[in-house]
Amino acid sequence: MSAHSLVGLVALNLVLLAVGGTTLYALRGLRSWNEALRLAGLAYMLGVALTGVVFVLELVVGLSLSLPAILVTEAALAGAGLLTGHVLRRPAPGTKLTLRRISLAGAAFGGLAIVYGEALFRSGRLAGLYEFDGWAFWVPKAKAIYFFGGLDHQFFAELPGSSYPPLVPAFEAASFHFMGAPDVVTLHLQFWFFLAGFVAAVVGLLSGRVHALLLWPPILLLLVTPHVLRYGLQAEGDFLLDELIALAALLVGLWLVEQRGWQVAAAAVLLGAAMSTKREGYLLAGCIVLSALAVSVQRARAVWPRLLLATGVALALTVPWRVLLAVRNLPGGGPEAGGTGLFSHADRAWPSLRLTLSTLFDFDIWLVVAPLALVAIAAALLARRRQLGFYALLLFALAVAAFTWTTWAFPSLPITKEASLNPMPRLTGSLSFAATAVVPLLLGAAWPARTGRAVR
Amino acid sequence: MITSARKRLRNDTASSVVLVGVALALGVGAIHYYKALSQLGQTASSNSSLSFDDREIAGGNSVIVDQAAAYEARSLIPVSAAYRLVSGQRLRVRTELTEKYVGDWFRYFLMPRRPRPDARWIICYGCDTSDLGGVYVVRWHDDNGISIGQLR
Repeated sequence: MSAHSLVGLVALNLVLLAVGGTTLYALRGLRSWNEALRLAGLAYMLGVALTGVVFVLELVVGLSLSLPAILVTEAALAGAGLLTGHVLRRPAPGTKLTLRRISLAGAAFGGLAIVYGEALFRSGRLAGLYEFDGWAFWVPKAKAIYFFGGLDHQFFAELPGSSYPPLVPAFEAASFHFMGAPDVVTLHLQFWFFLAGFVAAVVGLLSGRVHALLLWPPILLLLVTPHVLRYGLQAEGDFLLDELIALAALLVGLWLVEQRGWQVAAAAVLLGAAMSTKREGYLLAGCIVLSALAVSVQRARAVWPRLLLATGVALALTVPWRVLLAVRNLPGGGPEAGGTGLFSHADRAWPSLRLTLSTLFDFDIWLVVAPLALVAIAAALLARRRQLGFYALLLFALAVAAFTWTTWAFPSLPITKEASLNPMPRLTGSLSFAATAVVPLLLGAAWPARTGRAVR
Repeated sequence: MITSARKRLRNDTASSVVLVGVALALGVGAIHYYKALSQLGQTASSNSSLSFDDREIAGGNSVIVDQAAAYEARSLIPVSAAYRLVSGQRLRVRTELTEKYVGDWFRYFLMPRRPRPDARWIICYGCDTSDLGGVYVVRWHDDNGISIGQLR
């Protein structure tokens, strides 16, 4: 709870930004400092994703996640990014920085976001660790990594949620190292950085493509939803999963339209990190990939190999953790009902679907995020932006089916929106975040004549 | 000409739907933006008004019944030692979460100390000390039936 802890957290996140910046340079190059600044949010989130995946791999092979090990890892990742970018002759920003004029609307909404960010920061600055899952296993796992260096056999077997990959605990342990102590109060601010990075990434990716009036309102709407206000800074994996999935969904959407290789490569890194954050990551990544495959069927020969390769890379990043679970005889986290068990619990199908939809459209949880997504999809389809429109529609439908399955396949879960009894409010966060990231793209596509660049 | 008119109509409809979407986001967002700032401000105020102990114990306040026991356990049990928490019916005050979760909360709070079923350091949460399997030397106790000690 000290200034020292805060400075430590800032340092950690600057390191993550540096790693992500060099990764982005390797993937696409950065033509100017303006572009680097615009894409700083995406760079940061890529740094988080790449670092997180590497942390998990290091822990699985038995490396100790000490402060020197973290610094060496980050230096190696940054060095690899710089070297790759240099070898691939990516454009570098040079020395010139010219300030571009931003629109009045952009400045106004940006100002509102900054005021909100400051209020959220203050709310998390002295927050205690109240969430049950937080003190029951997320933070104890982080403490185990911090105190013992690696995946301690006793704690990682005895603590609940043993099938969850240790990406978030590894970040929390890294935060403890940078803060100089296991400060579980200031730890909440690490999740503020993740949320700020997500918002900056979406804004940076879309600001050149979509008018500020179409870009900012959906984002600000998400930020003021009761669910984000109440749980946005909790020291658990749900929101990081939502942020990674949403950015991957946006990048895949952009890739479907623009076909730039770096977009699908970046999406692969984010999907790998999402699947290393929580097991739901597999389901949600599947929804994104299946939606993209379905809407690109007419260009299958050009699109599918690259998309499947990216999916394969993302999945491969999670294999070591699955191997470790098998080696240590830990549960894999599969559904309680098993493969055919769904049929013997068929009576839960309709209540599970009803719970999914009523949670997603619950004004007291997500305000009008889901209805707005449907309006944006309708606008895109009416404007004949079919690929983008159907991509978003399929993503929405598949995610609803996936969330329904999660309650249906776990008969011990009661059918309720009570967050402590059923994870549905948390699960629907991934779709709410993904919808928010994609909505400005859909609105921009349906409003081509009046915006700078049309998105087809 | 008819095709062109249809296209214009479709574009106009799409634009109208976009406007509906933006109006929806702006309208609901504007109202809730002010509510959000107020709520976040209240959260910040209530967090800052907490005592250091309440903030550090946080979720444990609904599980443990004596903050002093948590701090005493942390100061008495060496960081490299193991401990076991033994609960029983002699606890005078309890919450509905105490019995089920007090062990989990102490595991979180006392790390890196390890919980072990055969540990000689004992956190007795209303336990029957005659069942501990040795001579129990009390190092600290309160009036609720909680004590901390070692088996000899």
